[in-house]
Amino acid sequence: MNIRKNLSVHILSLGTIVASLLILGAFLLLFGNLNNWLQRWGTALSMSIYLKDGISEYRRDKVYSFIRGLPEAEIKRFISKEEALKDLRAALGEDAGFLNRLVRNPLPASYEIVFESKGTHGVEPERIKGELEKLDGVEEVQYSNEWLNKLEGFLNVVRLIGFIIGGLLCLCVVFIVTNTIKLTIYSRKDEIEILKLVGATDWFVKTPFLIEGTIQGISGGVLAVLMLFSGYLILPTKGVSLLGLTPLDFVFLPAGYLVLILILGAVLGVIGSFIAIGRFFAV
Amino acid sequence: MIQLFDLSKKFGPNVALNDIRLRIRQGEFVFVTGPSGAGKTTLLRLIFGAEKPASGYILINAVNLNRISRPKLDLLRRKIGFVFQDFKLLPRKTVFENVAIALEVIGLRPKFVRKKTHQTLRLVGLAEKEKSYPLSLSGGEQQRVAIARAIVKDPLILLADEPTGNLDPQLTMEIMELFKSIHRKGTTVVVATHSQELLEATDCRTILLNRGKISEDTP
Repeated sequence: MNIRKNLSVHILSLGTIVASLLILGAFLLLFGNLNNWLQRWGTALSMSIYLKDGISEYRRDKVYSFIRGLPEAEIKRFISKEEALKDLRAALGEDAGFLNRLVRNPLPASYEIVFESKGTHGVEPERIKGELEKLDGVEEVQYSNEWLNKLEGFLNVVRLIGFIIGGLLCLCVVFIVTNTIKLTIYSRKDEIEILKLVGATDWFVKTPFLIEGTIQGISGGVLAVLMLFSGYLILPTKGVSLLGLTPLDFVFLPAGYLVLILILGAVLGVIGSFIAIGRFFAV
Repeated sequence: MIQLFDLSKKFGPNVALNDIRLRIRQGEFVFVTGPSGAGKTTLLRLIFGAEKPASGYILINAVNLNRISRPKLDLLRRKIGFVFQDFKLLPRKTVFENVAIALEVIGLRPKFVRKKTHQTLRLVGLAEKEKSYPLSLSGGEQQRVAIARAIVKDPLILLADEPTGNLDPQLTMEIMELFKSIHRKGTTVVVATHSQELLEATDCRTILLNRGKISEDTP
Protein backbone atom coordinates (compact mmCIF):
# COMPACT_ATOMS: atom_id res chain seq x y z
CA MET A 1 0.00 0.00 0.00
CA ASN A 2 2.89 2.35 0.82
CA ILE A 3 4.46 1.54 -2.52
CA ARG A 4 1.36 2.77 -4.38
CA LYS A 5 1.39 6.01 -2.43
CA ASN A 6 5.00 6.88 -3.24
CA LEU A 7 5.18 5.34 -6.68
CA SER A 8 7.79 7.61 -8.26
CA VAL A 9 10.23 7.24 -5.36
CA HIS A 10 9.78 3.49 -5.43
CA ILE A 11 10.25 3.25 -9.19
CA LEU A 12 13.50 5.20 -8.87
CA SER A 13 14.65 3.01 -6.02
CA LEU A 14 13.61 -0.17 -7.78
CA GLY A 15 15.46 0.94 -10.91
CA THR A 16 18.66 1.42 -8.94
CA ILE A 17 18.30 -1.94 -7.21
CA VAL A 18 17.70 -3.61 -10.57
CA ALA A 19 20.74 -1.88 -12.08
CA SER A 20 22.96 -2.91 -9.16
CA LEU A 21 21.79 -6.51 -9.12
CA LEU A 22 21.99 -6.63 -12.91
CA ILE A 23 25.64 -5.59 -12.84
CA LEU A 24 26.24 -8.13 -10.11
CA GLY A 25 24.45 -10.84 -12.11
CA ALA A 26 26.30 -9.94 -15.30
CA PHE A 27 29.56 -10.20 -13.42
CA LEU A 28 28.60 -13.62 -12.05
CA LEU A 29 27.63 -14.74 -15.56
CA LEU A 30 30.88 -13.52 -17.08
CA PHE A 31 33.06 -14.81 -14.30
CA GLY A 32 31.34 -18.18 -14.11
CA ASN A 33 31.73 -18.72 -17.84
CA LEU A 34 35.36 -17.59 -17.92
CA ASN A 35 36.08 -19.95 -15.08
CA ASN A 36 34.41 -22.86 -16.88
CA TRP A 37 36.17 -22.00 -20.08
CA LEU A 38 39.50 -21.89 -18.31
CA GLN A 39 38.87 -25.29 -16.81
CA ARG A 40 37.87 -26.70 -20.20
CA TRP A 41 40.88 -25.11 -21.84
CA GLY A 42 43.05 -26.49 -19.10
CA THR A 43 41.72 -29.97 -19.81
CA ALA A 44 43.13 -29.77 -23.33
CA LEU A 45 46.62 -29.71 -21.91
CA SER A 46 49.13 -29.71 -24.74
CA MET A 47 52.74 -30.83 -24.56
CA SER A 48 55.69 -30.48 -26.96
CA ILE A 49 58.43 -33.16 -26.78
CA TYR A 50 61.58 -31.92 -28.49
CA LEU A 51 63.92 -34.63 -29.75
CA LYS A 52 67.71 -34.50 -29.89
CA ASP A 53 69.35 -33.98 -33.26
CA GLY A 54 70.42 -37.19 -34.92
CA ILE A 55 68.14 -39.39 -32.83
CA SER A 56 68.08 -42.95 -34.12
CA GLU A 57 64.96 -44.55 -35.50
CA TYR A 58 65.03 -47.01 -32.62
CA ARG A 59 65.14 -44.26 -29.95
CA ARG A 60 62.39 -42.33 -31.69
CA ASP A 61 60.21 -45.46 -31.71
CA LYS A 62 60.91 -45.88 -27.99
CA VAL A 63 59.76 -42.29 -27.32
CA TYR A 64 56.72 -42.86 -29.55
CA SER A 65 55.80 -46.04 -27.67
CA PHE A 66 56.20 -44.28 -24.34
CA ILE A 67 53.86 -41.51 -25.43
CA ARG A 68 51.30 -44.01 -26.73
CA GLY A 69 51.37 -45.63 -23.32
CA LEU A 70 50.42 -42.40 -21.55
CA PRO A 71 46.77 -42.40 -20.45
CA GLU A 72 44.56 -39.89 -22.28
CA ALA A 73 47.45 -38.68 -24.41
CA GLU A 74 46.85 -38.23 -28.10
CA ILE A 75 49.67 -37.59 -30.54
CA LYS A 76 48.45 -34.71 -32.63
CA ARG A 77 51.42 -34.44 -34.88
CA PHE A 78 55.07 -35.35 -35.42
CA ILE A 79 56.99 -32.29 -36.56
CA SER A 80 60.25 -33.13 -38.30
CA LYS A 81 63.18 -30.68 -38.28
CA GLU A 82 62.29 -29.68 -41.85
CA GLU A 83 58.64 -29.12 -41.00
CA ALA A 84 59.61 -27.08 -37.95
CA LEU A 85 61.75 -24.83 -40.14
CA LYS A 86 58.96 -24.58 -42.68
CA ASP A 87 56.50 -23.59 -39.95
CA LEU A 88 58.92 -20.99 -38.65
CA ARG A 89 59.48 -19.62 -42.15
CA ALA A 90 55.71 -19.36 -42.62
CA ALA A 91 55.29 -17.68 -39.25
CA LEU A 92 58.04 -15.13 -39.96
CA GLY A 93 56.71 -14.32 -43.44
CA GLU A 94 58.70 -11.51 -45.04
CA ASP A 95 61.26 -11.55 -42.25
CA ALA A 96 62.20 -15.13 -42.95
CA GLY A 97 65.09 -14.16 -45.24
CA PHE A 98 67.76 -14.53 -42.58
CA LEU A 99 66.90 -18.22 -42.29
CA ASN A 100 68.59 -18.74 -45.71
CA ARG A 101 71.91 -17.84 -44.19
CA LEU A 102 71.73 -20.68 -41.66
CA VAL A 103 74.44 -23.29 -42.16
CA ARG A 104 72.33 -25.98 -40.57
CA ASN A 105 68.75 -26.32 -39.31
CA PRO A 106 68.91 -25.57 -35.53
CA LEU A 107 65.29 -26.53 -34.85
CA PRO A 108 64.58 -29.87 -33.19
CA ALA A 109 62.03 -32.43 -34.34
CA SER A 110 59.13 -32.80 -31.94
CA TYR A 111 55.94 -34.59 -30.99
CA GLU A 112 52.85 -32.46 -30.25
CA ILE A 113 50.59 -34.29 -27.83
CA VAL A 114 47.29 -33.34 -26.20
CA PHE A 115 45.71 -34.71 -23.01
CA GLU A 116 42.00 -34.74 -23.59
CA SER A 117 38.69 -35.06 -21.77
CA LYS A 118 38.96 -35.76 -18.07
CA GLY A 119 40.71 -32.56 -17.13
CA THR A 120 44.03 -31.75 -15.68
CA HIS A 121 43.11 -33.36 -12.39
CA GLY A 122 43.93 -36.87 -13.64
CA VAL A 123 47.03 -35.77 -15.52
CA GLU A 124 50.24 -34.79 -13.83
CA PRO A 125 52.12 -32.83 -16.47
CA GLU A 126 55.16 -32.21 -14.31
CA ARG A 127 55.61 -35.93 -13.60
CA ILE A 128 55.13 -36.88 -17.27
CA LYS A 129 57.57 -34.17 -18.30
CA GLY A 130 60.14 -35.59 -15.88
CA GLU A 131 59.68 -39.13 -17.14
CA LEU A 132 59.89 -38.07 -20.79
CA GLU A 133 63.03 -36.04 -20.22
CA LYS A 134 64.70 -39.12 -18.74
CA LEU A 135 64.27 -40.97 -22.02
CA ASP A 136 67.27 -41.17 -24.33
CA GLY A 137 66.83 -38.91 -27.35
CA VAL A 138 64.50 -36.40 -25.64
CA GLU A 139 65.99 -32.93 -25.47
CA GLU A 140 63.26 -30.96 -23.69
CA VAL A 141 59.56 -31.11 -22.83
CA GLN A 142 57.27 -28.06 -22.60
CA TYR A 143 53.59 -27.91 -21.73
CA SER A 144 50.88 -25.27 -21.56
CA ASN A 145 50.95 -24.94 -17.79
CA GLU A 146 52.57 -21.55 -17.80
CA TRP A 147 49.70 -20.06 -19.78
CA LEU A 148 47.23 -21.77 -17.53
CA ASN A 149 48.86 -20.29 -14.44
CA LYS A 150 48.84 -16.84 -15.98
CA LEU A 151 45.16 -17.12 -16.86
CA GLU A 152 44.35 -18.42 -13.41
CA GLY A 153 46.19 -15.46 -11.95
CA PHE A 154 44.21 -13.16 -14.19
CA LEU A 155 40.96 -14.78 -13.10
CA ASN A 156 41.94 -14.36 -9.45
CA VAL A 157 42.39 -10.64 -10.05
CA VAL A 158 39.00 -10.54 -11.83
CA ARG A 159 37.49 -12.40 -8.88
CA LEU A 160 38.94 -9.91 -6.40
CA ILE A 161 37.74 -6.94 -8.45
CA GLY A 162 34.36 -8.64 -8.69
CA PHE A 163 34.12 -9.01 -4.92
CA ILE A 164 35.03 -5.36 -4.41
CA ILE A 165 32.55 -4.14 -7.04
CA GLY A 166 29.90 -6.56 -5.76
CA GLY A 167 30.41 -5.35 -2.19
CA LEU A 168 30.15 -1.71 -3.26
CA LEU A 169 27.00 -2.46 -5.24
CA CYS A 170 25.47 -4.19 -2.22
CA LEU A 171 26.26 -1.15 -0.08
CA CYS A 172 24.70 1.00 -2.79
CA VAL A 173 21.50 -1.08 -2.71
CA VAL A 174 21.32 -0.88 1.10
CA PHE A 175 21.84 2.89 0.95
CA ILE A 176 19.11 3.32 -1.65
CA VAL A 177 16.59 1.11 0.14
CA THR A 178 17.35 2.91 3.43
CA ASN A 179 16.67 6.28 1.88
CA THR A 180 13.54 5.17 0.03
CA ILE A 181 12.06 3.69 3.17
CA LYS A 182 13.06 6.83 5.07
CA LEU A 183 11.22 8.95 2.52
CA THR A 184 8.17 6.70 2.88
CA ILE A 185 8.38 6.97 6.66
CA TYR A 186 8.60 10.77 6.47
CA SER A 187 5.65 10.91 4.11
CA ARG A 188 3.66 8.83 6.60
CA LYS A 189 4.97 10.57 9.71
CA ASP A 190 1.51 11.74 10.79
CA GLU A 191 0.02 8.32 10.32
CA ILE A 192 2.81 6.72 12.34
CA GLU A 193 2.33 9.28 15.11
CA ILE A 194 -1.40 8.55 15.23
CA LEU A 195 -0.81 4.80 15.25
CA LYS A 196 1.55 5.24 18.19
CA LEU A 197 -0.98 7.46 19.96
CA VAL A 198 -3.71 4.83 19.71
CA GLY A 199 -1.40 2.23 21.22
CA ALA A 200 0.30 0.52 18.28
CA THR A 201 3.50 -1.27 19.26
CA ASP A 202 6.74 -0.32 17.51
CA TRP A 203 6.66 -3.60 15.57
CA PHE A 204 3.09 -3.02 14.42
CA VAL A 205 4.33 0.18 12.79
CA LYS A 206 7.71 -1.13 11.66
CA THR A 207 6.64 -4.41 10.07
CA PRO A 208 4.99 -2.90 6.95
CA PHE A 209 8.20 -0.99 6.21
CA LEU A 210 10.27 -4.15 6.57
CA ILE A 211 7.90 -5.97 4.22
CA GLU A 212 8.12 -3.04 1.83
CA GLY A 213 11.93 -3.18 1.79
CA THR A 214 11.85 -6.94 1.26
CA ILE A 215 9.35 -6.63 -1.62
CA GLN A 216 11.56 -3.97 -3.20
CA GLY A 217 14.64 -6.17 -2.90
CA ILE A 218 12.93 -9.28 -4.29
CA SER A 219 11.25 -7.33 -7.12
CA GLY A 220 14.62 -5.81 -7.97
CA GLY A 221 16.15 -9.28 -8.00
CA VAL A 222 13.40 -10.74 -10.24
CA LEU A 223 13.64 -7.85 -12.72
CA ALA A 224 17.44 -8.04 -12.75
CA VAL A 225 17.34 -11.79 -13.49
CA LEU A 226 14.76 -11.29 -16.27
CA MET A 227 16.82 -8.50 -17.84
CA LEU A 228 19.97 -10.54 -17.56
CA PHE A 229 18.27 -13.47 -19.28
CA SER A 230 16.93 -11.19 -22.04
CA GLY A 231 20.43 -9.82 -22.54
CA TYR A 232 21.79 -13.35 -22.67
CA LEU A 233 19.26 -14.25 -25.39
CA ILE A 234 19.85 -11.10 -27.43
CA LEU A 235 23.64 -10.79 -27.28
CA PRO A 236 25.89 -13.26 -29.17
CA THR A 237 26.92 -15.83 -26.60
CA LYS A 238 27.96 -18.81 -28.70
CA GLY A 239 31.49 -19.39 -29.98
CA VAL A 240 32.92 -16.18 -28.54
CA SER A 241 36.58 -16.15 -29.42
CA LEU A 242 39.01 -14.85 -26.84
CA LEU A 243 42.70 -14.22 -27.56
CA GLY A 244 42.44 -16.69 -30.42
CA LEU A 245 42.03 -19.56 -27.95
CA THR A 246 39.32 -22.23 -27.67
CA PRO A 247 35.97 -20.53 -28.51
CA LEU A 248 33.78 -19.84 -25.50
CA ASP A 249 30.08 -20.79 -25.41
CA PHE A 250 28.36 -18.72 -22.74
CA VAL A 251 25.85 -20.61 -20.60
CA PHE A 252 23.26 -18.82 -18.42
CA LEU A 253 23.57 -18.73 -14.67
CA PRO A 254 22.57 -21.96 -12.91
CA ALA A 255 19.34 -21.94 -10.85
CA GLY A 256 21.30 -21.75 -7.60
CA TYR A 257 22.86 -18.44 -8.63
CA LEU A 258 19.48 -17.03 -9.65
CA VAL A 259 18.03 -17.93 -6.26
CA LEU A 260 21.11 -16.34 -4.69
CA ILE A 261 20.43 -13.04 -6.53
CA LEU A 262 16.81 -13.06 -5.30
CA ILE A 263 17.87 -13.87 -1.73
CA LEU A 264 20.54 -11.18 -1.92
CA GLY A 265 17.92 -8.67 -3.10
CA ALA A 266 15.61 -9.63 -0.22
CA VAL A 267 18.40 -9.54 2.38
CA LEU A 268 19.64 -6.14 1.18
CA GLY A 269 16.05 -4.86 1.21
CA VAL A 270 15.55 -6.02 4.79
CA ILE A 271 18.89 -4.54 5.93
CA GLY A 272 18.06 -1.21 4.26
CA SER A 273 14.61 -1.09 5.90
CA PHE A 274 16.06 -2.06 9.27
CA ILE A 275 18.54 0.81 9.12
CA ALA A 276 15.79 3.24 8.08
CA ILE A 277 13.29 2.26 10.77
CA GLY A 278 16.04 1.93 13.37
CA ARG A 279 17.06 5.54 12.84
CA PHE A 280 13.50 6.81 12.66
CA PHE A 281 12.15 5.06 15.70
CA ALA A 282 15.20 5.61 17.89
CA VAL A 283 13.94 7.75 20.82
CA MET B 1 -6.86 6.31 39.27
CA ILE B 2 -4.79 9.24 38.00
CA GLN B 3 -2.35 10.84 40.45
CA LEU B 4 -0.10 13.79 39.71
CA PHE B 5 2.65 14.67 42.19
CA ASP B 6 4.45 18.03 42.10
CA LEU B 7 4.24 17.98 38.34
CA SER B 8 5.98 20.66 36.29
CA LYS B 9 6.49 21.01 32.55
CA LYS B 10 8.55 23.53 30.64
CA PHE B 11 8.84 24.26 26.94
CA GLY B 12 12.20 26.00 26.70
CA PRO B 13 12.02 28.97 29.09
CA ASN B 14 8.21 28.86 29.21
CA VAL B 15 6.61 27.15 32.17
CA ALA B 16 3.51 25.29 30.97
CA LEU B 17 2.63 23.62 34.24
CA ASN B 18 3.97 24.33 37.69
CA ASP B 19 3.81 22.13 40.76
CA ILE B 20 0.53 20.39 39.96
CA ARG B 21 -0.88 18.03 42.57
CA LEU B 22 -4.00 16.25 41.50
CA ARG B 23 -5.96 13.07 42.15
CA ILE B 24 -8.70 11.82 39.85
CA ARG B 25 -10.51 8.75 41.10
CA GLN B 26 -11.51 5.81 38.91
CA GLY B 27 -14.90 6.51 37.31
CA GLU B 28 -14.80 10.25 37.98
CA PHE B 29 -15.96 12.86 35.40
CA VAL B 30 -13.72 15.92 35.51
CA PHE B 31 -13.57 19.12 33.52
CA VAL B 32 -10.29 20.97 33.20
CA THR B 33 -10.82 24.55 32.25
CA GLY B 34 -8.96 27.80 32.01
CA PRO B 35 -7.96 30.43 29.47
CA SER B 36 -5.93 29.60 26.38
CA GLY B 37 -2.33 28.78 27.29
CA ALA B 38 -3.29 27.83 30.84
CA GLY B 39 -1.82 24.34 30.36
CA LYS B 40 -4.96 22.23 29.74
CA THR B 41 -3.64 20.43 26.66
CA THR B 42 -0.23 19.92 28.27
CA LEU B 43 -1.86 18.37 31.33
CA LEU B 44 -3.79 15.90 29.19
CA ARG B 45 -0.74 15.03 27.08
CA LEU B 46 1.28 14.38 30.23
CA ILE B 47 -1.41 12.04 31.55
CA PHE B 48 -1.38 10.29 28.16
CA GLY B 49 2.41 9.89 28.23
CA ALA B 50 2.85 11.98 25.08
CA GLU B 51 5.03 14.44 27.02
CA LYS B 52 7.56 13.92 29.77
CA PRO B 53 7.43 16.12 32.85
CA ALA B 54 10.33 18.41 33.81
CA SER B 55 9.83 17.31 37.40
CA GLY B 56 7.34 15.39 39.49
CA TYR B 57 5.61 12.21 38.45
CA ILE B 58 2.35 10.74 37.23
CA LEU B 59 0.76 7.50 38.36
CA ILE B 60 -1.90 5.88 36.19
CA ASN B 61 -3.47 2.98 38.07
CA ALA B 62 -0.30 2.88 40.18
CA VAL B 63 2.00 2.77 37.14
CA ASN B 64 4.65 5.49 37.19
CA LEU B 65 4.83 7.04 33.71
CA ASN B 66 8.37 8.30 34.37
CA ARG B 67 9.62 4.74 34.64
CA ILE B 68 7.39 2.97 32.17
CA SER B 69 9.05 1.15 29.28
CA ARG B 70 8.10 1.96 25.70
CA PRO B 71 6.22 -1.33 25.10
CA LYS B 72 4.32 -0.93 28.39
CA LEU B 73 3.37 2.63 27.48
CA ASP B 74 1.97 1.29 24.18
CA LEU B 75 -0.12 -1.20 26.16
CA LEU B 76 -1.27 1.50 28.60
CA ARG B 77 -2.39 3.72 25.73
CA ARG B 78 -4.69 0.97 24.56
CA LYS B 79 -6.65 1.58 27.76
CA ILE B 80 -6.78 5.34 27.26
CA GLY B 81 -8.88 7.07 24.65
CA PHE B 82 -7.74 10.52 23.54
CA VAL B 83 -9.78 13.02 21.58
CA PHE B 84 -7.27 15.46 20.11
CA GLN B 85 -8.10 19.10 19.61
CA ASP B 86 -6.87 18.88 15.99
CA PHE B 87 -8.62 15.47 15.60
CA LYS B 88 -5.51 13.74 14.19
CA LEU B 89 -7.47 11.83 11.58
CA LEU B 90 -5.79 10.03 8.70
CA PRO B 91 -6.86 11.86 5.53
CA ARG B 92 -6.19 8.87 3.25
CA LYS B 93 -8.34 6.51 5.28
CA THR B 94 -12.11 6.38 5.38
CA VAL B 95 -14.13 7.25 8.48
CA PHE B 96 -14.57 3.53 9.14
CA GLU B 97 -10.82 2.84 8.79
CA ASN B 98 -9.95 5.80 11.04
CA VAL B 99 -12.08 4.37 13.82
CA ALA B 100 -11.20 0.71 13.25
CA ILE B 101 -7.47 1.43 13.48
CA ALA B 102 -7.74 1.83 17.27
CA LEU B 103 -8.90 -1.78 17.48
CA GLU B 104 -6.62 -3.14 14.75
CA VAL B 105 -3.46 -2.05 16.59
CA ILE B 106 -4.60 -4.14 19.55
CA GLY B 107 -4.70 -7.16 17.26
CA LEU B 108 -8.40 -7.93 17.65
CA ARG B 109 -10.17 -10.21 15.19
CA PRO B 110 -11.37 -8.45 12.00
CA LYS B 111 -14.96 -9.61 12.51
CA PHE B 112 -15.09 -8.07 15.98
CA VAL B 113 -13.36 -4.91 14.72
CA ARG B 114 -16.01 -4.48 12.00
CA LYS B 115 -18.90 -5.06 14.38
CA LYS B 116 -17.60 -2.76 17.11
CA THR B 117 -16.68 0.00 14.63
CA HIS B 118 -20.14 -0.04 13.04
CA GLN B 119 -21.69 0.06 16.50
CA THR B 120 -19.58 3.04 17.58
CA LEU B 121 -20.19 4.97 14.36
CA ARG B 122 -23.93 4.51 14.90
CA LEU B 123 -23.48 5.81 18.44
CA VAL B 124 -21.88 9.07 17.26
CA GLY B 125 -24.36 9.40 14.37
CA LEU B 126 -21.90 8.75 11.54
CA ALA B 127 -23.10 5.37 10.27
CA GLU B 128 -24.03 6.91 6.92
CA LYS B 129 -20.61 8.47 6.49
CA GLU B 130 -18.40 5.46 7.16
CA LYS B 131 -17.09 5.36 3.60
CA SER B 132 -16.38 9.08 3.43
CA TYR B 133 -12.93 10.57 3.85
CA PRO B 134 -12.28 12.99 6.71
CA LEU B 135 -11.58 15.98 4.48
CA SER B 136 -15.03 15.68 2.93
CA LEU B 137 -16.66 16.04 6.37
CA SER B 138 -17.60 19.13 8.34
CA GLY B 139 -15.57 20.14 11.42
CA GLY B 140 -18.24 18.72 13.71
CA GLU B 141 -18.32 15.42 11.86
CA GLN B 142 -14.54 15.13 11.98
CA GLN B 143 -14.71 15.75 15.70
CA ARG B 144 -17.23 12.93 16.09
CA VAL B 145 -14.92 10.59 14.13
CA ALA B 146 -12.15 11.49 16.57
CA ILE B 147 -14.49 10.79 19.49
CA ALA B 148 -15.57 7.46 17.94
CA ARG B 149 -11.92 6.42 17.59
CA ALA B 150 -11.29 7.30 21.26
CA ILE B 151 -14.28 5.39 22.63
CA VAL B 152 -14.38 2.40 20.27
CA LYS B 153 -12.03 0.40 22.47
CA ASP B 154 -14.06 1.01 25.66
CA PRO B 155 -11.20 2.79 27.41
CA LEU B 156 -10.66 2.90 31.15
CA ILE B 157 -9.77 6.57 30.83
CA LEU B 158 -11.08 9.01 28.24
CA LEU B 159 -9.14 12.22 27.75
CA ALA B 160 -10.80 14.81 25.51
CA ASP B 161 -9.14 18.06 24.49
CA GLU B 162 -11.76 20.65 23.52
CA PRO B 163 -14.05 17.94 22.12
CA THR B 164 -16.91 20.32 21.40
CA GLY B 165 -14.91 23.21 20.03
CA ASN B 166 -16.32 22.84 16.52
CA LEU B 167 -19.84 21.83 17.41
CA ASP B 168 -23.08 23.80 17.58
CA PRO B 169 -24.89 23.91 20.97
CA GLN B 170 -27.20 21.02 20.11
CA LEU B 171 -24.34 18.74 18.99
CA THR B 172 -22.30 19.84 22.00
CA MET B 173 -25.03 18.56 24.30
CA GLU B 174 -25.32 15.33 22.29
CA ILE B 175 -21.59 14.73 22.62
CA MET B 176 -21.75 15.46 26.33
CA GLU B 177 -24.53 12.91 26.65
CA LEU B 178 -22.30 10.47 24.83
CA PHE B 179 -19.45 11.11 27.28
CA LYS B 180 -21.85 10.70 30.18
CA SER B 181 -23.04 7.36 28.83
CA ILE B 182 -19.40 6.21 28.57
CA HIS B 183 -18.82 7.51 32.08
CA ARG B 184 -21.78 5.52 33.34
CA LYS B 185 -20.03 2.37 32.17
CA GLY B 186 -17.20 3.15 34.61
CA THR B 187 -14.79 5.08 32.40
CA THR B 188 -12.87 7.95 33.95
CA VAL B 189 -13.51 11.01 31.77
CA VAL B 190 -11.31 14.10 31.73
CA VAL B 191 -12.48 16.86 29.41
CA ALA B 192 -10.44 19.99 28.75
CA THR B 193 -12.66 22.85 27.67
CA HIS B 194 -13.03 26.59 27.88
CA SER B 195 -16.73 26.42 26.97
CA GLN B 196 -18.67 28.19 29.73
CA GLU B 197 -21.95 26.79 28.35
CA LEU B 198 -20.70 23.30 28.85
CA LEU B 199 -19.51 23.98 32.38
CA GLU B 200 -22.73 25.68 33.37
CA ALA B 201 -24.78 22.77 32.08
CA THR B 202 -23.03 20.26 34.31
CA ASP B 203 -22.43 19.66 37.97
CA CYS B 204 -19.18 17.69 37.56
CA ARG B 205 -15.90 18.40 39.27
CA THR B 206 -14.12 21.31 37.58
CA ILE B 207 -10.42 22.12 37.81
CA LEU B 208 -9.49 25.64 36.84
CA LEU B 209 -5.99 26.11 35.51
CA ASN B 210 -4.36 29.49 35.31
CA ARG B 211 -0.82 30.11 34.05
CA GLY B 212 0.14 26.51 34.65
CA LYS B 213 -1.24 26.27 38.19
CA ILE B 214 -4.43 24.92 39.67
CA SER B 215 -6.26 27.97 40.87
CA GLU B 216 -9.55 26.26 41.71
CA ASP B 217 -10.79 22.72 42.17
CA THR B 218 -14.57 22.58 42.52
CA PRO B 219 -15.90 19.17 43.52
